[in-house]
Amino acid sequence: MKKLENKVAVITGGNSGIGLSTAILFAEQGAKVAITGRNQASLETAAQTIGNGAIGIVSDVSDLNNIKNAYEEVSDKFGKIDVLIVNAGIFLAGPLADFTEEQFDQTSDVNFKGAFFSVQRALPYLNDGASIVLTSTALNEKGLGIGAAYSASKAAVRSLARSFSAELLDRNIRVNVLSPGPIDTPIFGRGGGSKEEVDGTKDYFASINPSKRLGLPMEIAEGFLYLASDASKYMLGAELVLDGGVKGL
Amino acid sequence: MKKLEDKIAVITGGNSGIGLAVAKLFAQEGAKVVITGRNPVSIRSAVIEIGHGSAGLVSDAGNVDCLTQTFEDITKKFDGKIDVLVVNAGVYITAPLASYTEEMFDQTSDVNFKGAFFSVQRALPYLKDGASIILTGSTVAETAKINGAAFAATKAALRSLARSFSAELLPRNIRVNVVSPGPTDTSVFGRTGASELQIENAKKALIDHTPLKRLASAGEIAETYLYLASDDSGYMLGAELVIDGGYRSL
Repeated sequence: MKKLENKVAVITGGNSGIGLSTAILFAEQGAKVAITGRNQASLETAAQTIGNGAIGIVSDVSDLNNIKNAYEEVSDKFGKIDVLIVNAGIFLAGPLADFTEEQFDQTSDVNFKGAFFSVQRALPYLNDGASIVLTSTALNEKGLGIGAAYSASKAAVRSLARSFSAELLDRNIRVNVLSPGPIDTPIFGRGGGSKEEVDGTKDYFASINPSKRLGLPMEIAEGFLYLASDASKYMLGAELVLDGGVKGL
Repeated sequence: MKKLEDKIAVITGGNSGIGLAVAKLFAQEGAKVVITGRNPVSIRSAVIEIGHGSAGLVSDAGNVDCLTQTFEDITKKFDGKIDVLVVNAGVYITAPLASYTEEMFDQTSDVNFKGAFFSVQRALPYLKDGASIILTGSTVAETAKINGAAFAATKAALRSLARSFSAELLPRNIRVNVVSPGPTDTSVFGRTGASELQIENAKKALIDHTPLKRLASAGEIAETYLYLASDDSGYMLGAELVIDGGYRSL
């Protein structure tokens, strides 16, 4: 028996990395998947890779009107939403003294405000009993030199799951958080470094991880699947940490 | 011996509530106190109440551009760099999730999160090495807050900032910590525009929910700021003092 048979699942930022792996797994498990992202071309390719009739919708989570339109399109095509994975996020780093207002706003608009309104605007389109999963980071309780705004935006997301869950209890909608550690995704290449540099960065993160390796996107996808399915229905306002031991050890 | 003798202390949002109580206590302990806030009238009366040669400046923590000028003015006024920075300006806006507007969200985030971030950043050139920075958090940073998801989340963000800032400012020996108060008896209750009866009921509900069965006084919250501001807490950084009558833990 498939775990998400005929469920409607929306994954923001589902066109690459962890989001894409999650979409693929959800489709395998029988879900009708809609992914959103900013890049039309990569959404189309991703939707084909995902299969099972998956659709891609162009939507920038930092634009609130976009968010609502995306949900409307999903429910027109598939019906009301059972699973919402709020996964779109950005990571901007810089020393505190030089961190610009623009960098701060971008970080906060996507990671914090984007998450807040991705949930709020979804409310009319969610089935009662839906599962919402927000993506934080294993570093949400750790001081991060040169990434204060990022860590803080992810700590804010961790908090949102608690309040949202309390408030949506009467509709039996659960909100939980998945906090990944360092995962082997294309994000490492996005800084524009050479292959040697990218590999060097990956090796460094693996070396400081208690498990001595990066996580695989599919391992994180399995975490989302657990939170999305009824297997986790006694879990709400909680956090699933998948980080090779960074936080706990 | 006074604990903050001749130290220069800046308290944002120091014109009322916990901020004002902190300003008064710091001044009694020998600090040269500057408060900032948005309301010129309440700043003027607060400065009189604080006494001890304190000063007040109109400054909106939600407006990044005016922060540098504020810190510049402060160091000129007292002819020295800042020893203690209390980032205390905050707003508390509640509404059900479904009807929480973008404006409400932006106001909450701009003052409580972005305002705190840039209050620290813009203060950097005006801070002494070894300075103590204290951010005002909230006990709800780690609990659910129905109708207050944005507020609780900004306070969780603030809790996080103290860790990263402390890590980054270690070479200058600048410490950043958080005070997380629980329900406190301040004028914030009156500012919501609620009636006397509604305020009484809101206070009663909070008292019921607090294991100690009373609200904190602003004065007892101020004592935690004094501890974090003084060298007594020199080994504490990136940490949190929770003073909430047991609200979070019990």
